[in-house]
Formats: sequence, C-alpha cells, structure tokens
Amino acid sequence: MNVTDLFTLLPLLILGGAAIVVMIVVAIHRSHILTLTLTLIGLALAFASLWWIAPEAPRQVTSLLVIDRYAIFYTGLVIAATFAVALLCYGYFERHPGNPEELYILLLLAALGSAVLVASSHFISFFLGLEILSVSLYAMNAYIRAWSLPLEAGIKYLILAASSAAFLLFGMALVYAELGTMDFAKIRELVTASPDLNRAVLLAGTALIITGFGFKLALVPFHLWTPDIYEGAPAPVTAFVATVSKGAMFALLLRYFYWSGTHHFGAVFLVFTIIAIASMIAGNILAMLQTNVKRILAYSSIAHMGYVLVAFQAGGQLAVQAVTFYLVAYFITIIGAFGVITMISDGDRDADSIEDYRGLFWRRPALAAVFTAMLLSLAGIPVTAGFVGKFYVISAGASSAIWLLVFVLIVTSVFGLYYYLRILVALYSGLAHEEAHAASGAAMVSSSSLAPALSISGGVVLAVLTILLVWVGVYPATLLNIIHSTVGLL
Amino acid sequence: MAVWPIGLYFILVVLLILGMLIGSHLLGQRHSEKATGQPYEGGILSEGSAQVRLSAKFYLVAMFFVVFDLEAVFVFAWAVAGKEVGWAGYWEILVFIGILIATLIYLWRLGALDWGSPGRPRRRV
Repeated sequence: MNVTDLFTLLPLLILGGAAIVVMIVVAIHRSHILTLTLTLIGLALAFASLWWIAPEAPRQVTSLLVIDRYAIFYTGLVIAATFAVALLCYGYFERHPGNPEELYILLLLAALGSAVLVASSHFISFFLGLEILSVSLYAMNAYIRAWSLPLEAGIKYLILAASSAAFLLFGMALVYAELGTMDFAKIRELVTASPDLNRAVLLAGTALIITGFGFKLALVPFHLWTPDIYEGAPAPVTAFVATVSKGAMFALLLRYFYWSGTHHFGAVFLVFTIIAIASMIAGNILAMLQTNVKRILAYSSIAHMGYVLVAFQAGGQLAVQAVTFYLVAYFITIIGAFGVITMISDGDRDADSIEDYRGLFWRRPALAAVFTAMLLSLAGIPVTAGFVGKFYVISAGASSAIWLLVFVLIVTSVFGLYYYLRILVALYSGLAHEEAHAASGAAMVSSSSLAPALSISGGVVLAVLTILLVWVGVYPATLLNIIHSTVGLL
Repeated sequence: MAVWPIGLYFILVVLLILGMLIGSHLLGQRHSEKATGQPYEGGILSEGSAQVRLSAKFYLVAMFFVVFDLEAVFVFAWAVAGKEVGWAGYWEILVFIGILIATLIYLWRLGALDWGSPGRPRRRV
C-alpha cells in the first residue's frame, strides 16, 4: 500500500474520520444542529473527493478493495442518499425527547460500511463492509428506546442479520475450501480454467452466499423481517434501510456474480429466477392485504427488488445499466415516500396507518402532491423516474429473451397499482370523512390525529427529490449518460 | 498395583460419616429457641434479605472489554509482525489506537466511567 492507494481510499477515510470527529464533538458539546452540520460537511467532503480520485480509477487497492468507476458511482449514490436521510432525521428527532446526536455517528458508519461493500472485490472486505453496515443498523433501528416497536425491530434485525451473516460466512468458507481463493476475479479464473472442481461444494457455498444476499435484499423466502422492521424502525431510519443498505448490497450482488462468473451456472440462474418470481408475486399480493402504509411500502420493496433481479438475470452491460438506473430511481422514490411519512409523524407515533393520510390533500396539499408523485413513481406511471426505470428493466429482460420473468413483472406491476391507488384515494378523499369524524365525536378522539410541526430541512429534501423524480422521468438522458460512462465498465 | 486398599478406604470413610450423622441424630438433644433458626453472624442480628441485587453493569463491562482487551489482541498481532510491516504498519496501529482513545474519551465524557449510583454527584475523596 502506498500513498496513491491511500489517496484513492479518500472517500472511505473521510467517512470514517467524520464519524470519529462527530463522536468527539458529541462528547465535548451536545448540540443537535452542530452534529448535523458536521455530518453534512463530512458527507459533502466525501462526495467531493470522488471527483479528485476519479482520474485514478480503476485501481486495485490491496487485494480487498477495487476503486473503479462503478464503485465511485455507487459510493456517490450512497453518500447522497445518506445526506438526504440525515436532513430528514433532523426534523424527525428534533421532536423526540432524548439524545439524537449518536444517530449521526451511526449514520456515517453505516454509509462507510455501504461504501466498503460497493468497492469490495474480496470476501474479507465484503464481510467487513456488511458487518459495519449491519451493526450500525441494529442500533439505528432501535434508536427510539421509549417505544416498544423500534426495540422489537432492533432485536429482530439483530437476530436475523446475525444468523444470515453466519450463513454467508459458511458459504464463503465452502467456496474458499474448494477454490483456495477469496478474490472475486480469481474465483472466475479457477472456475473457468479447471473443470475437475467439486461442483457440489461450490454450489452449496454459492447457495449459502445467495441466502446472505437474499436476507439483506429482503427477497422471498428471506423476506420475513421486512414488514416488522419497516413498521418498527423510525421513519427516516427505514428510508435508510430500504435504500442505502439494499442498494449497496445489490451493487455488490452484481459485482460478485458477474466477476466470479458463478452467475453462468445453470443452478444459480434457476435459483435467481425462482427468487425473482416469488418476490414479485409475494411482495405485490401481500402488500394488498396491508392497512399500514409502512408495511405496504415494505412489501412493495420486496416486489421492487424482484423487478431489479429481472434486470440482473438478463446479464451483460445493458443489465448493469438497467439495474443502476432502477436503483437510482428507487432511491429517489423511497427516500421521498419515507420523507413524507417522516414529515407528518409527530413525537407520539409514526404516521403509518392509512387513516393518517385520509384527506391529507386538504390539510397539506404540498406534502400530498409529493407523496402522490412518489407513489406514482413506485407504480411505474409515465413522467416519473420509476417508469423509465421499469422500462429499462423490461428492455434488458427482453434483450436476453427471459420472457417468463418479463411476463411476471408486467402482470404483478398491474397488481401493484391497486395498493398504491388505495393510498392515493385516501390522500384525496376526505371531506366527507371529516364530517363523519365530527359527527361520531368522542368515539374517534382516541385515535389521536397527528399534528406535527413541519421541518424546513425535510421540506427542502422533499422538494429536491420531487424535482429529481420528474426530471429523471421526463429527461432521463442526463442520468443515462452518467451511468453509461461510469458503471458501463463493470 | 492393588486397587482394593483405595476401595476399602472409601468404604470406611462412608461408614464413618454415616456413623457420625446417625449417632448425633440418635444421641443429640433437640431444642427450638427464638434464635435457633437464625444465621449466626458474629453475634450481630442479620437484617434484610440475603438476596441483594447489585448492579454490575455488565454491558459496560462488555464495552470496556472491547475497548481495552480486544485492543490488546490486535496490538499483539501487530507487535509479532512489527519489523516486517515497517513504518506503514506503525502508522496503521497508531491510527487504530487513536480511534480507541477517541472512543475512550467519548465514554468518559458520557459518564460511563462513573460507576456510582446514578443521580448522585460524584464523590471526591
């Protein structure tokens, strides 16, 4: 390792350094706004450093990390999403009693773990990044200790993530036992060069690794934690779990399976096909049965990860670009949707029942408009980023002639419309309900209506996200060019 | 070597103990005064339950274990290869210890090192 190597690791070093600086500042002087400012400065510096290191890419830094344009793009995505989540957290945790400062340390560490994940080219860095991310998320999920649901979410996530990490580790051990290497690119060489390998051990290892991926991405049948954690975790933390954690993991999924060449195994391809179909069907159908907005978004996220798997199954450069485009659109949309939930939650509970959204348009037209845009994007209606993303996923699938997956994607998307529209109907219906509310009087008082003070930082984030959503939906060429020139080279 | 003396010894010990227990049970007197059932503690009357809960703060112990002891594990691993890894390794271990010191400062400022009962100001000796 020399100075240039260290220089190319600058974004990771800045993220890690920012976490320590924030920690020491919290120790000396507790101030929410100061902590937030330092966090944002750290994230902005890390983001800016991506441009300084870009000329060095691609560069293998030790055998663990590879800083190529793909890693730089996804690190940028992770940092930008963390930036938005940090701003949402400010308005949200300002309303809660207790110390909100430590959350930002955890947020920075989780971003660091995600950045390690997207740059890893070796099992060791894969596992290290995953653990940095997971351990931060345990604490973030359970951050509001006065409520029982976040605690439940934290414990569930701890147990399930730890056991899935054990599966993953055993899978890595099996692959290592068979091949004698933990480097993704070397695995490919060995797999293609020597035909006398024990395929059974290799496949068992790969199956266990798929389990580890499947848990983090909440793919069926490893999805059971998703609705509970989405419902229990504080809304901005849920936004983080849904986007950064999953996005980084998906970026690694692409790198691992394409680099190691294990995606070409017939059995692996078949397993991913089954997982994708099961995720799309189960996610969309279970979402219909929910009345809790956070749970609906949880099941819809299972379905969305199934959609992205369709592009992953297509293989090739078009697939990488389609996945990346879809993930960017998904990041914008999900952070926007949970941003709205964050904004209308107050210090007593999160706004997660559909009833909380009834008639939102008449009370807060701007928030309702933003939520509408986000839901339409999730449903894949034109003029939103979600539509263009879905279009690329389908075209990637069609170009590889995986018709079954494409067919399931289209059919289940239609199911998906139903539950998004149900929230939309609640947003705009209302006045009649308000009268009924007034008439029934005392009986309804117990279901306390939420009256939060809207935060400016959250409002700015939502405005920017909505503009991005429509911009990417109407004129996707800018984003496509960026993606083409960066991740086109995985 | 013959084993039977050990067996005989064992049997004799058992017989002796049984004899003492049964003998004292048959020959001993019985009485039940006010203080018979109480534990003897140097003549002082005992007070309260023996099952007192002491807060051992296990999570704090666990955290300090991580800070102090696992640190030593990594430092030892570096020390074994100290010459081979050269100055680069030296700076890396320095960064590592620096981060741990920052953690310690954080814990100290948080009051995690004050193990008195909570809510009472720290007593200075």
